[in-house]
Amino acid sequence: MTTEAANLLVGASTDFLRNFSPFNRMEAEALAFLAERAVLAFHPRGSDILTPEMGVPRHFYIVQRGKVQASQTGSTTVTEYASMTLGPGECFPIGAISARRPSTNAYVAVEDSFCFQLGADDFLHLMQMSPVFHLFCTQYIASLLNQSRQQLQTTFAQRAAEQQTMTTSLGKLVKKDPVFVTADTPTRSALERMNELRLGCMVVVDDERRPVGVVTQSDLLPRVILAAFDLARPIGELMTANPHQLPTTASAYDAALEMATHGVRHLLVVDSDGILKGVVSERDLFTLQRISLRQIRAGIENAADIQALQRASTDIRQLALNLIAQGIGAEQLTQFISALNDALTRRIIVLARERHDLLGIDFAWFAFGSEGRHEQTLSTDQDNGIVFRVVGSGQVDEARRRLLAFARTVNDDLAACGFPLCKGNIMASNPDLCLTLDEWKSRFGDWIREPDPQALLNASIFFDFRVLYGNERFGDQLRTWLNKAAKGNSTFQRMMAANALKVLPPLGRIRDFVLEEDGSIDLKKSGARLFVDVARILALRTGVDSSSTVQRLRQASTKIGFTPEEIAAIIDGFNFIQLLRLRSQHLETEHDTGDDNRVDPESLNELDRRILKEAFRQARKLQLRLKLDYQL
Amino acid sequence: MSWLSRLKAARGGAPALGKQAEQTLRDWHALPDAARDRPHFESRYVVVNTEATGLDRDRDRLIAVGAIGVDGGLLHAADAYYAKLDPAAADALAGLLGLTGKNPLVVFNASFNRNMLERAFQEHLGLVPEFLWIDLYFLLPSLFPEKLDRPGRLGDWMAAFGIETFQRHHALGDAWAIAQLFLAVQARAPSFGVNSPEGLAEHQHAYRQKLKV
Repeated sequence: MTTEAANLLVGASTDFLRNFSPFNRMEAEALAFLAERAVLAFHPRGSDILTPEMGVPRHFYIVQRGKVQASQTGSTTVTEYASMTLGPGECFPIGAISARRPSTNAYVAVEDSFCFQLGADDFLHLMQMSPVFHLFCTQYIASLLNQSRQQLQTTFAQRAAEQQTMTTSLGKLVKKDPVFVTADTPTRSALERMNELRLGCMVVVDDERRPVGVVTQSDLLPRVILAAFDLARPIGELMTANPHQLPTTASAYDAALEMATHGVRHLLVVDSDGILKGVVSERDLFTLQRISLRQIRAGIENAADIQALQRASTDIRQLALNLIAQGIGAEQLTQFISALNDALTRRIIVLARERHDLLGIDFAWFAFGSEGRHEQTLSTDQDNGIVFRVVGSGQVDEARRRLLAFARTVNDDLAACGFPLCKGNIMASNPDLCLTLDEWKSRFGDWIREPDPQALLNASIFFDFRVLYGNERFGDQLRTWLNKAAKGNSTFQRMMAANALKVLPPLGRIRDFVLEEDGSIDLKKSGARLFVDVARILALRTGVDSSSTVQRLRQASTKIGFTPEEIAAIIDGFNFIQLLRLRSQHLETEHDTGDDNRVDPESLNELDRRILKEAFRQARKLQLRLKLDYQL
Repeated sequence: MSWLSRLKAARGGAPALGKQAEQTLRDWHALPDAARDRPHFESRYVVVNTEATGLDRDRDRLIAVGAIGVDGGLLHAADAYYAKLDPAAADALAGLLGLTGKNPLVVFNASFNRNMLERAFQEHLGLVPEFLWIDLYFLLPSLFPEKLDRPGRLGDWMAAFGIETFQRHHALGDAWAIAQLFLAVQARAPSFGVNSPEGLAEHQHAYRQKLKV
């Protein structure tokens, strides 16, 4: 009769829960489990139900009656809402309890409220037993990912807007403090200053710092040299009086118009009192307009020399910043970067070919490593090689000599364009990496047959090859051959798997993250690589042709029995880590400091930290799969 | 064993208790008395409620009993009891004692419920178990005067708190509502300096005294 009573009460709770999503879609067995385990508690108006100070939440709550307000704590706003009210059927916390970390929100009853509460272990069990509930929680966490991305956009949007659009005000465009002299300054010292600071234009001001004239470089020839001007005389006698000026509130577009109208290259920017604030040059405005995807591509394709390509390389970085600002996800962003870098590399190869005789050689240029996976970030070494065959009667070694000389040029040019030479000499100019198809097969075959640590390391770099330039068929043939060879050798797969599992996600038992000695997390070594390594093994095992991690995971997922939701969550995790890497590299690039894959979790906001933890949990899930598959 | 012989004597020629019911009763007697001075969150209360043929406590008969434990301020579906008295009234009542133990009982309107229950205990088990009785009929208006400043009906209090239940006028259905009201009582009582079962009983007594004035 205790049973009869329990059934009545469980039935009542079930009926209540069925009025709300996701419980109305939940499997009967799972819903019964929830209704049996949930207990009801009362929270008087004004009382705290759950706060960050309470530590890792011990319960998952479902509001039965009343109103609960969730509000951000701490100084940074981490979600789009500052506070949100939860009513009957709504539940909390999801992210915190899934990730076993303190809640970032404070949940306070704003009315007398009743809440069902489910123990944390039962919550996790429910996630396991109910695909519907699991999806609900995963989507919730995914929505956090979206929020984070939006937040990232706002961070960058402002800076990008400043740098990007022609509507930017001149006040914002002027970055450097203006350099100026007074009219009685001797001409020699004014010109010396110009020369020293490499200025195209010197401003002459009165005692109030109001501009009274300018001297530009183009004035020097006619007015100083040809006129044999006495440099001891004051600059006031040399300058062009009544210089063109615009207020700080005028736009970059206004400035461009003014320059075009008057045929000048410099404009003075003054505040509302007419006091000099800075100088805008034609070049400053040109930079604003130049950076668009199409223009960079055109710039690369028409580049006649390395100098032009160097400019394009700088633009690619700038574009990446703008793309982050526009909210493009990591996957697309790395693809863009990859596509532009590919175009750049191809152009370098084409230019190099003009200087080298490669007649009678059929070849392809390989990209390896992250470049091979289309996952280049902004600070990637070169990793490349060549596959070739001799057409007609030529000698292989003679052809190799010619290719190596050509490759040396390409490697150097790439270095000049911002792709540092590979410290491990994984470059096409290395004779070991300029091979015929059979030679490549034999090298790959050796690694598969004898997977010692060096062979496994090599496999992790070289098996991510793709053809970047030249005859694509070489790549197809090698990929087909490799997939067969690796698929047929389970010992090799097992060794690769064991190797991939050597590095674990930096999740702590007590603290959130396990940190390196310097207090940071290496997002490459302990982050992205966890996904990349598992994806490579899955691809080799299931015969996926792609070299990209995301594509490998997507294509392999159906064959290894991951649901689309599961694989999407894993890919989201990988992409988030990539996005964090790109972001930190951007900031690092601007500050010119060294190590760029490290992030200090303390420097992240609450939301990013939470998502990063979830991303690592996805990596752990992926690793667990490998562990089970290979009984490791 | 005196209580058992008394019980047998009282029951006379009536059929013996079921084996399990007898064991339940024996266990109940063996229980120590529940502490009455512990704070609410360390106490287990049991909400009990009755269903009768009518509201006349002298003429009407008890039909069913329902009970829900309130342990540490939490309601748990597994900690509940419901039984009809027909056909085995003694078993039904013994089962109720199995759930209540010697914990303080919470009722809405003790004058009716306590009376009904004690009469049934006497009739079918031959004893009247001692309990600390806590009556929400008086406690609610004394603790929540802003909602209702005099004793009211269960329906009024449910409306005041927006509480619903799966079935009104059902022993367990109403007990579910009363249990939710009691959660609110537990949360409010400390602000009146009332922190234990004993305190609740005293507070309710004082309120009744005041009503008589």
